[in-house]
Amino acid sequence: MVDETDRPGHHVGTKEMISCTGIKKTFGDFVALHGITTSVMEGEVVVIFGPSGSGKSTFIRTLNRLEEHDEGKIVIDGVELNNDLRNLDKIRSEVGMVFQQFNLFPHLTVRRNITLAPMRVRRMPKAEADRLAERLLERVGMPEQIDKYPAQLSGGQQQRVAIARALAMEPKIMLFDEPTSALDPEMIKEVLDVMRELAQSGMTMIVITHEMGFAREVADRFLFFDEGRIVEEGTPEHFFENPREERTKLFLSQIL
Amino acid sequence: MATIVRTSPTPILRRARRWAKDNLFGSVGNTLLTVVTSAILGFVLYQILRFVFITAEWEVIETNRRLLFIGRFPAGEEWRFWPTIFVASALAGLTWGLWSRLEWQAAMILAAALVPVFAFFAHGELALLTAAAVALAVLGYGLAQLWLTGSGYSAAARQLVMVGWVITFPLTIFMLLAFGGVDPSLWGGFYLNILLAVVGIVVSFPLGVLLALGRTSSYPVLRVASTAYIELIRGVPLITILLMTWLVLPIFLPSIAVPVLAPEGLDDMELTYRVMVALVLFSAAYVAEAVRGGLQAVPRGQIEAAQALGMGTFSVLAFIILPQALRAVIPALVGQFISLFKDTSLIFIVGSTDLLKAGRAITQGQIEFSSQEKEVLLFVALVFWVVAFSMSRLSQRLERTMGVGER
Repeated sequence: MVDETDRPGHHVGTKEMISCTGIKKTFGDFVALHGITTSVMEGEVVVIFGPSGSGKSTFIRTLNRLEEHDEGKIVIDGVELNNDLRNLDKIRSEVGMVFQQFNLFPHLTVRRNITLAPMRVRRMPKAEADRLAERLLERVGMPEQIDKYPAQLSGGQQQRVAIARALAMEPKIMLFDEPTSALDPEMIKEVLDVMRELAQSGMTMIVITHEMGFAREVADRFLFFDEGRIVEEGTPEHFFENPREERTKLFLSQIL
Repeated sequence: MATIVRTSPTPILRRARRWAKDNLFGSVGNTLLTVVTSAILGFVLYQILRFVFITAEWEVIETNRRLLFIGRFPAGEEWRFWPTIFVASALAGLTWGLWSRLEWQAAMILAAALVPVFAFFAHGELALLTAAAVALAVLGYGLAQLWLTGSGYSAAARQLVMVGWVITFPLTIFMLLAFGGVDPSLWGGFYLNILLAVVGIVVSFPLGVLLALGRTSSYPVLRVASTAYIELIRGVPLITILLMTWLVLPIFLPSIAVPVLAPEGLDDMELTYRVMVALVLFSAAYVAEAVRGGLQAVPRGQIEAAQALGMGTFSVLAFIILPQALRAVIPALVGQFISLFKDTSLIFIVGSTDLLKAGRAITQGQIEFSSQEKEVLLFVALVFWVVAFSMSRLSQRLERTMGVGER
């Protein structure tokens, strides 16, 4: 990463937060990941893009073990991800995830959506969790919605609550799995604004997105996935100015 | 102004005529259907009304009210019922007021059905006690509506009421058994139907949930055992299960004495308790199947989101999966519980005297009433219907207030 330039407002550290070596994953006969090797530094923002079915979603889901990898080694903040349940609990509470379909809990208010995990997992007292929820909703710009149910909110608002919910566990790493793909165009910006602020605050982030303008602005590094492999890797400038691989060029020409 | 005066008397009439024309006499087929249906309905209604108000002789109900409602329960022990009835009425009023608003239609239908019940049963001391129970229900409703709903206490009040309902059940059993107690073989009448239904519902619900979780579990032993149990029970008629708990169960049970439940040993358990066990075992299998449907309806993403937040298996189940699954299956569950309530009348097969059996016993055992079978059956049906209908309305209410179908 010699040619790495720091994005405005945040600084890439020297500590390795995520280290993956030869991650393989198969679903029956289908090989989803053909051995992914990469690492992510503290404070780094990595954007992953690629055609659907390229394994990018499977890859970030292995990072908090929503998918179990078949081979290879994943180390998150110094803890190896394996069948040791204590490790898994530790890692999951340090890695926040935001989903394409928001996955808010429909039977709980916004407040309860945010406070449930801190209260259950971290044993946080209710009053403290409530204050945390208020602070986080302030941060994502919707403090007045705290007692509504998810169904009463727009898609953009729901996704912002989902981000606040993940942040409530005070994660060191945030994973975003196509966070704006299910949104109407006019709501995409409000979610990207929150993510931009998060990136500038120094959060380590892996983001799957095809919002290339946003990606270029916040990312330190791009990973282009195709057929379960990292086809090309580099700075946003590298990808926008002279991508090396034919597949990368073709894909970029289709989405830009 | 003039036009309004001129036309105002006619619109209602005209609207009625138009509605009738549109809905009842729109075409030849429609007209025919209307005429035939009205004729049949009119005939049936006429027959029923003529029977109820002219032909029928209702003294049989009045004379035997005690047998119908509490069976062969010993005289002088009736006080054991009233504490629970009072607590339950107050809780019912509070529940109705806290969770919903009085629905006039349902309330009026229920009141109309209750009128004959009161007419026959409320004399003397009983009238006072019954009136007190009704007053407690009204008081509870009023308190909830005027005071608690919308105030800062409503959440706390709801929790208290739920705790109250949970306590009511052991209180009932305690009142029947404590201070000398009444032998369970003497419990009977409609009170027994209610008691069996409540035990069946309260115990089979958690058991059914566990079975459903077992059946969807990833542990093969649990899955196979739960599936086998559910399919076994669902393939056998309830009557068979009742007879088996009567005749076959004692062979399999050890003669270990269990206080209260079976002081003489499990193999010599009171028949009434055995019937309770049978109903619970039977109902649990059906509850399990209903709940399983709900579990499958919870999207995978919900579980993933909770896991990604670091929540453990128990938390995910208790706070994310079960609340959503159970909400989705309220109609099916209440349907199951209504059937269970009606099925309690099958216990005549093992010799218990429930409402239906008491009714049969009257016309078979009392010569003066031997020709009043129709009256008794009609009355028994009415009593079952009032309770089943209330349960069904409650379920519709629950569905609405809990937002079933909203995602």
